[in-house]
Parts: sequence; structure tokens; C-alpha cells
Amino acid sequence: MKKLLVLFISVFLVSMAYAGKVRVGALVDLTGPTGDVGKPYAEGVRDCVRYFNENGGINGNEVELLMVDYQYKIPQAIAAYKDFLRKKVVAIHGWGTGDTEALSKFITKDKIPYFSASYSEHITDPKNNPYNFLVGATYSDQARIALKFIKDKGEKKTVAFIYNDTGFGRSPFFPDGEEYAKKIGVQLVDKQVVDLKALDATSQLLNLSKAGAEYALVQETYMAASTILKDAKKLGIDTKFIGLNWTFGKTLIDLAKDAAEGYYGTSSFAFWGQTDVEGIKFLHELNKKYHPDVTFREVNYIQGFSSMYVLLSALKMTKGELTGENIKKTLESFKDFSTMGLTAPVTFTKESHKGIKALKIYQIKNSSMIPVTDYITAD
Amino acid sequence: MNYTNCGEFQTSYEKDAAIYKSLFSKICIYGFLISLFVIPFFIDDYFLYLFNIIFIAVIGAVGLNILTGITGLISLGQGAFIGVGAYTAGYLANQYGLNFVISIPIAGLITAIVGMIFGIPSLRLKGLYLSIATLAAQFILEFIFIRAEFITGGVTGLSLDYANFFNISLDNDFKFYFFGLIMTILMVTAAKNIVRTKIGRAFLSVRDNYIAAEAMGINIFKYKILSFGISSFYAGVAGAMWAYYVTIITPEHFTIGVSIQYLSMIIIGGLGKILGSIFGAIFITLLPEVLRFVTDYFTSSYPFLTQAFASIREAAFGIVIIIFLLFEPEGLVRRWNLIKAYFKLWPFSY
Repeated sequence: MKKLLVLFISVFLVSMAYAGKVRVGALVDLTGPTGDVGKPYAEGVRDCVRYFNENGGINGNEVELLMVDYQYKIPQAIAAYKDFLRKKVVAIHGWGTGDTEALSKFITKDKIPYFSASYSEHITDPKNNPYNFLVGATYSDQARIALKFIKDKGEKKTVAFIYNDTGFGRSPFFPDGEEYAKKIGVQLVDKQVVDLKALDATSQLLNLSKAGAEYALVQETYMAASTILKDAKKLGIDTKFIGLNWTFGKTLIDLAKDAAEGYYGTSSFAFWGQTDVEGIKFLHELNKKYHPDVTFREVNYIQGFSSMYVLLSALKMTKGELTGENIKKTLESFKDFSTMGLTAPVTFTKESHKGIKALKIYQIKNSSMIPVTDYITAD
Repeated sequence: MNYTNCGEFQTSYEKDAAIYKSLFSKICIYGFLISLFVIPFFIDDYFLYLFNIIFIAVIGAVGLNILTGITGLISLGQGAFIGVGAYTAGYLANQYGLNFVISIPIAGLITAIVGMIFGIPSLRLKGLYLSIATLAAQFILEFIFIRAEFITGGVTGLSLDYANFFNISLDNDFKFYFFGLIMTILMVTAAKNIVRTKIGRAFLSVRDNYIAAEAMGINIFKYKILSFGISSFYAGVAGAMWAYYVTIITPEHFTIGVSIQYLSMIIIGGLGKILGSIFGAIFITLLPEVLRFVTDYFTSSYPFLTQAFASIREAAFGIVIIIFLLFEPEGLVRRWNLIKAYFKLWPFSY
């Protein structure tokens, strides 16, 4: 009898505890192929939720984060998504290009606001994907801005594309990058495929240099980018490399060492070392409090934090019930929303769900990342 | 109670090959099927989803089992063949507006043709050599999925409409469940019957001793190619169903990992047994979900161990497969038969 009473009370308490909670799902990759950037990203997401919970949550309700390590596998992402729906999440923060696209139809049908860490441009069109949102310059925009930079800075104004043969790799260049280069008069002289896990890029680089590329845009992650830089230094190739955001961070400097000198990168996020930025100062303090032994954070942590910051802020600002439609309406009213300088101000409209169009171009000098431009946009 | 002889006492070949060995087993099977039609009314979307992917996996695994388990030809290309089916169905639906009732069988047939082409080397190659040749099929097809943009949409993928059946759109898990279930019953019954006929016996003889088979007048090449064709047909149907279920297909769905998963399904379930493919498909599909459930439970209590649990989960998958190979090399189907025998012989289990 006593046992039954205890059971009854505990069931009651548990259901009470669930009553005042706002649930948010998160798909992350901790152990899959993109785990190198996925792990710090997930930590940023988690710290952001913790910060919100310690400061009043969503209008007094605690945020419960349902984080799933889906290992970059699409069926597991769909399973996790169905599980999220069952647990009645109000919004989801996703991860890769493939899974975001596979989920896009479900998201539209179920009206779930969905943030992704894939900056692929074609999921930002509200006509096809009304519930997908991005905090970060799209890959296509990054390529466009880099091409513009080449047009301004370059002497020969020739460019080559280096990418991996996946959705992620081809997204910035075909067709957006190609068309834009033609439009502004930068000559595309070569395209080279370098696998994400490549340990050698010699033959590709020799071709590239033979084609006379003054600049090369690199769409990879840290590992392939460092291979490219090391091989280029070994071969004495004087092509200048501009990497898109997933290639650019302190990990690259650690991997490529002095081969990374002079490497350019596009990033719409502030870096850990930029202590003059308000948001970075804030994150330094937050980390001192939450993780006293952490002294450095990857840019991916900052990406995760700022993306979740925008999502939770939207939940906080939503008037009335937290339904998909209401949250979408709130997000679409975002105009120059400040992320404390972690990114350029965020704007969503009914016509575009690209949160950020501006980014800075950085260069590695003396093993640190120095901005060489102010915030610039493609148009 | 099951009043049959405790042992096999058939008096004719017909009885030996019968699907229902007794009235009791007939009642059990029909009862099970009827309950499958009733279940969806009581479960939520998440469980419906699990059932749906199990249906698709069962069809793919049964196909692979006909090829690998029954004919003895190892294939590492099932994932890519499933992709061929998915893209064909998607292309036919988008380009010609074909109804899924027509596009799914056509997808199966085209995949069968593709499978037969890649099966040609099987006349000369056996065992490991053949597995490498089918591995090549996997990579070639994956390359085509990415490059043949006019058919597959390249890396962006191919988007199609939900299957439409007399103006009922199969646009949610509940509706898809019945379609998936009916397809699975049809395909499994067909497979069961293929195995019982002349073709099936020819497959078995090719597997067990191809020289003896040839001496008996079995055209080995014909049956090997036929086996590739049937297996790929199943893969194609599974792929087409997956396409209609997810409605967006990208090359990332059909990697070598998927092929290995199907191979582990039939190994864990039981090579050469149709029932084994069903058990294996259920097991491999549910394993990641169960592991996720367990790790989620622990990580919510011990958040600082998230990373450790994530790695453990990855290792657990491998360990489960190794344990199976060690302790149940004939697969889940053998365990099932032992359980059945236990009840059949109880209380005099000697």
C-alpha cells in the first residue's frame, strides 16, 4: 500500500514538473563524421539554454533541451524528429544539410520552426520552406562576398573552386558561385574535388596552379583545408586561399601550423580572441562561471550559442501560445536583432529567412585571426 | 494447445513444404496479421514511424537474403540498389506523373535490370572477389546519383509528392502504415514461395555445391543472374517505398553504411531464412533507437557524461553484432525455433 502511494505521488510530481516546461529539440553530431565541429557547437547550444534557464527561462517556464546525437545519419534524424514531435517540442535546432532537407517537408507540414547549422541557401526560401531559419551567412553568400573581395583586391582576377563532392561541398558554387563570378567579371579557371578526409591534395593543387588561379575558394572542414594548405606550401604554390566558415578557426592553425599564414576566411561570427566585442566578453564571463577550467572556445561554440540565442529570444518574445505559426510570425518581425555583436544584426522577413547577410573576411597573421574587412554584404 | 507430433513426421513432400504446418500455426499467423492491422489505431506517430521503416527494411533484407543467404552470393551493393529504386520511382512520378501503383513495380524492374548487369561478374567471381565487385557497384551507383543531375537532382536531391491512392494521399505515418504492411505481406509471401519452388531449390543447390548443381543440369549462370534480379527487385521496391515515405531523396541516403546495415540484418536474423530477414530487420532498425533511449536516460541524469555515452553507444552497436556472431551464429531465427520447440515439447523436453 505504502509503495503504491509513493508511486502515485512520484508520478504526480513528475507530471507536475513537466507542466511548466518549454521543450526544444536539438539534433547534434557528437560522434559522427562532422563531430569535430559538432561537439563545440553542441556545447554552445547547451550553455545558451542554461543561461536562459538561470535568467527566467521563457517567461517563467524552464526550457527543457532534448538533445539527440544523430551521428549525421538521415534515418536517425527522422526518428529523432518523430520522437521530438511526440514529446511536443515547440521548435528544433538542427544540424546538417542532408538531414535538414530530408526533414523539410515534415517541418512544413507539422509547422515546427527549425533552425539549422547548414548554411545552404536553398532552404532559406520561405516559399518552399516556410519554417526553416538560418543564423549565419549562407554558403552562397559567403562565396559571393569572397568573389567580390577578389574582384576588389585581385590583380589577375582569376579564381578556382575547391570542394568536396557532397551537398555541403557543392552548395556554395553550383550554380550560385559560378553565376556570380560571371556576373562581376571574375574568371573561373578551375574546379577541383578534394575529399573531406583527404590526406593528400598534390595533384589537385598542381592542376590549379597550372590553370593560373590567383585565388581559390575552399569549401571543406578543418581537416581537408589544412591538407590543402600544407600541400600548397610544400609545392610552393602562390595561389591565395579563401576558406568558407567551416574551414576557418583556431583548429586550422593548430593543424596547418605556419602553412596557415596568410590564409583568408569568411566568417559571420566573432572569434574568441576579439575581446572588444560585447558578446565575446559576455561569453568569457559565462564560461568562467559554468566551466572554470575552460580558457578557449572554438568559433563553432560561438555559432551554436548565437543560433540558439536567436531561437530562444524569439520564443521569449512570442506573444500568446507558443505555436509554430506564432513563433514564425515573431521571427519574421526580427529587424536588426542584436546578438551582442557575436554576429551582424539578425533580420528575418516574410520574403527571406536568411538571418545574416553580412560577414567579415579574416586573415591569419602570426597565428591569429585578424579581420581585414568590416561587415560586407553580397548585394 | 498445439496437438502435433513432437518432431517432424510428414508423410508427403507437399506437407514438408507447407507454409502452415498445422491448423494451430495457421491460426497464429492469421491472428498475428490481424493484430498488425489493428495496432496502428493505438500507437502514436513515433511508433508508427518505427513500424514503417521496419516494413521497408524487411523488404530490402528479404531481397538480400535471397541473394546472399539462399544463393550464397555476397553483395555489398544493396544500399545503392535501394537508391536506384528510390530515384527511379521519384523520376517516374515527377517526369511522367505516374501513380505509385505503377511506378513502384517499374522501379523494381529497372533496379532488377541494373542488379543483373552488376551480377554478370558473379559467373566468374565467388566469395570475397564477388563482394568487392558488388562494392564497386555501390561506388559507381553513388557516383551516378551525385552526377546524373538531370535524373537525380544531384546533391540537392529529388523531391516528389506523397503517394496518392484514389484521392487518399499517403501523407502521414498512419496512412503509410497500411500501405507498408500490405506491401510487406505481399513481398514476404512471394519470397517464401520463390524459395519453395524449383527456382528456390536451384538457388540452394548453387549455394551448397555449384559443381554438383551444374552436373545435375542447372544453368548456374542463369540462376545466379536471376537471383541478382530478384534481390534487386526487392531492393528497388524498398527504395521506391522509402522515396514515397520521405518524399525527398538525396545521395546521402544510400551510402555504403546502408549496405552494411542490410548485410548485418540478414546475418543477425539468420542467413537463408525468410523469417530471419524479418527478425534481423526489426533488430537492426530498433537497436539504434533503444541505444539512444538508454543513453538519453543516463545523460539526463549525468549530463557531464554525454560524450562518453555517445561513444559507448557507437561501440555497443559493434559489440552486439560480435556477441551475436559468437553465441548465435545461425541468427535470431534459430533462437526462435528453440523457443518454439521448447513449448512444443513441454513438459517432456526429451
